[in-house]
Amino acid sequence: MAGPRYVADPEDLVRVVELDGLSALFHEPSGMTHIVAAPAPQILDMLRAAPADAAELLRRLRACYDFEGDEAAESIHARLEELETAGLVRRA
Amino acid sequence: MSGSDKEAVGGEAAEGRAFVPSRRTVLVLGAAAASTVITVRPALAQTAGSVLNCEIPVPGPHAGGNYIAPDGNLVPPGTQGAAPPLARPLRGEEARQLLRGNTPPGVNPQSAQAYANYIRRLQSGMSGFTCYASLQMPR
Repeated sequence: MAGPRYVADPEDLVRVVELDGLSALFHEPSGMTHIVAAPAPQILDMLRAAPADAAELLRRLRACYDFEGDEAAESIHARLEELETAGLVRRA
Repeated sequence: MSGSDKEAVGGEAAEGRAFVPSRRTVLVLGAAAASTVITVRPALAQTAGSVLNCEIPVPGPHAGGNYIAPDGNLVPPGTQGAAPPLARPLRGEEARQLLRGNTPPGVNPQSAQAYANYIRRLQSGMSGFTCYASLQMPR
């Protein structure tokens, strides 16, 4: 059974400032500022294109990146959960 | 926070977009328990007690009577698949439960996601926004 699908707000609603390996994101709809590390910006990029569940998101990421470690499936759920809690992604 | 300590990664292609990295970079997804997001405490900080007791009307008075679609958007009353307005505002603690995927007492579980998405879409100036923003503050 597929898990929840997530989507991120479009680029023009999130101002990004690169900070030497980290990124500061100002999320205009909520007025909140977040400091994020990889892979958060990459996940947001992928979810802006179209909603995806965790498995589809991993597939999109794998098309562009190699992963370090063998816990990708477990980790991606944790990353999505914290991005949802921060309000940077929401369920589609 | 955890992150990539190999090659810098940032802003590459999403599906359907034209840009593809010229060489593959290593993305560290991080341990499940590690955090990659820190939310900066906003200036409208409130005390923990007031956060739990602040209120979020669903929907706000500007949209009284409208229903709420599963994605959180307001739709005309009676729209099929949409959730009816809540009879009373949600308290901060109830909104927190909703945002975590739980259903507070008195809320129809089938409508919970619509209400949660409505709250996530609140913007500055809308009734309940300050309460929502405060709920997201790290303690």
